[in-house]
Amino acid sequence: MISMDPLILVLIGMCGVAGVGLYGLLASRNLIKIIVALQILAKSAVLALVAAGSASGKINLSQSLAITVIVVDTVVAAVGLALGVQVRKHFGSLDVSNLSSLRR
Amino acid sequence: MTIPYPLLLLAIPLVGSPAAYLAGRALKSEGLARWLARILLLLDWIPWSILCVEFLRGDSKPILVPLQMLNLQIDGLSLLLSAAVLVLATAVSFYSGPYLAEEEGQVKYYALLLTLTGAIIGLGCATDLLNLWLWFEAMTVSTFFLVTFYHNQPASLEAGVKYLVQSAAGSALVLFGIALVFGSTGTLSLQDLPAAIRSFPNTMPLEAAGVLFIIGFGVKAALVPLHTWLPDAHAQAPSGISAMLSGVVIEAGLVALLRALLPLMNVSDLWGPILLGLGALNMLLGNLLALRQTQVKRLLAFSSLSHMGYMLLGIGAAVTFLQPEAMAGAFFHLLTHMLMKGLAFLSAGALLYALFLSRGKHGSLAITDLNGAASRYPLIAGAFSIALLGLGGLPPLAGFMSKWQIFIGSAQTRSGWIILLVVFAALNSVLSLAYYAPLVNAMYRKEPSDAVRDGNSIALSMSLPLVLMAAAVVLLGVLPTLVSPLTSSAAAALVHLGGTLGMIP
Repeated sequence: MISMDPLILVLIGMCGVAGVGLYGLLASRNLIKIIVALQILAKSAVLALVAAGSASGKINLSQSLAITVIVVDTVVAAVGLALGVQVRKHFGSLDVSNLSSLRR
Repeated sequence: MTIPYPLLLLAIPLVGSPAAYLAGRALKSEGLARWLARILLLLDWIPWSILCVEFLRGDSKPILVPLQMLNLQIDGLSLLLSAAVLVLATAVSFYSGPYLAEEEGQVKYYALLLTLTGAIIGLGCATDLLNLWLWFEAMTVSTFFLVTFYHNQPASLEAGVKYLVQSAAGSALVLFGIALVFGSTGTLSLQDLPAAIRSFPNTMPLEAAGVLFIIGFGVKAALVPLHTWLPDAHAQAPSGISAMLSGVVIEAGLVALLRALLPLMNVSDLWGPILLGLGALNMLLGNLLALRQTQVKRLLAFSSLSHMGYMLLGIGAAVTFLQPEAMAGAFFHLLTHMLMKGLAFLSAGALLYALFLSRGKHGSLAITDLNGAASRYPLIAGAFSIALLGLGGLPPLAGFMSKWQIFIGSAQTRSGWIILLVVFAALNSVLSLAYYAPLVNAMYRKEPSDAVRDGNSIALSMSLPLVLMAAAVVLLGVLPTLVSPLTSSAAAALVHLGGTLGMIP
């Protein structure tokens, strides 16, 4: 049986989650999906913080960081969804390809 | 006194913000929220002045802010940034009274203006990476609401969505950078980082962290490939907020970038050249894109890119060749750009208000609408022209002095390619007159347009801040040494942060 360092597992997980987030951010056209993708990306950053804490032996500090970051990202998500409500109201859909009236 | 006054600098806007909101909502009085915001912003100058005097008398030693877990300290850079944000926020709080008189949600606007002010002051005082990120996010979140203030306008929603998505992605990247730094060194404190790095042999993760900081904070600082949110957000926000965004928010992004990046200075020799390269891109692209604009506020937004480029030139030269003089020039430019660009956005907004908004039209101000504005609005046109010519770098005005200091400071490095970049920047500065001058020309030498003839008058509380800021632009141009104690100690603060590399303040 191969014994695996839990840190490596966390790092692999983090890369996977970050990949999903980035892919979602680039591939989706729906505003809510984009906000979900942003949240996934932020959560992978939280995983990275936890991994960093366990790597440097300061897991307590990194846990409090992680919780703070989760709270802040929830605020951003709430604002994004509120914007989504307004976008749906004024554009009739959540498709971000409609949002292209402003050109250089 | 039980509350220490360094804390008051932060506490007045941050505690005042919910207070203004609740008072305004409870008593259903927008005027109350407005006046509370104005009074609190004016009050905040008292702790600022005390701290400034104490700081300059105390051999420019950082002043600690006692606040339990949050390690905050006030150094030259924090004082400079808080002065910039307080000047502009005070002006905006008076200016926005008539500008927003007809709009809904003014209570929120003033409360968020206070939050934004407090968050930027806090950002300047942060001493560890997480604090820096938290204040940065607080600033970003409060600007989301302010950019989408006209939430019934599709265009401002569009600007808000672009801004939110780019900012949120940027701050996630910053978090990855923080995790890399924390994982490798085990410390988040910007003070301890340079020492911790020296004992850490593997520089790869730290190099990656630096790149992530440049990209993540660079979104807010509008470094060129990441600038696409900026023209939309600046053009669609209420003019007071355009001024805040362009005058302090992008500069706060730059300050956050420098605070996070400079402790990693020993990790790689490339930071300076990267900043210089981005600066050159910013100057050139900002100018070229501004040249083709037909809307005044978008033009001003793009010109912010090129001014960010001048600052990056000074900072890049300072970082590459350990030349604090160039960095002091960049910080002086930060201050004068705040004044001039703030003034330009506010006067463009005043005209937009008089010609369109006060007549119930939600349009944008085209350059042709400015035609002949000087005959009807001499005060506003005068202030606008001073701002524009200052931005273009004409001699007796502040913009010339700050660019001059950047150029001289950079040229003192005696490196061939930095001098080449300085020449490039000077040429860019001349090029920028190609879009500033036509605006002045339109206001003074063209026949009044229909929009100008039908325009409404402008209230005193709107034009007074403009006149005062125009006077400040001229004053700083004549007496640039007025702020040099602050700018040089701001440069010294960052250099100190960058570790002991033989740079003497």
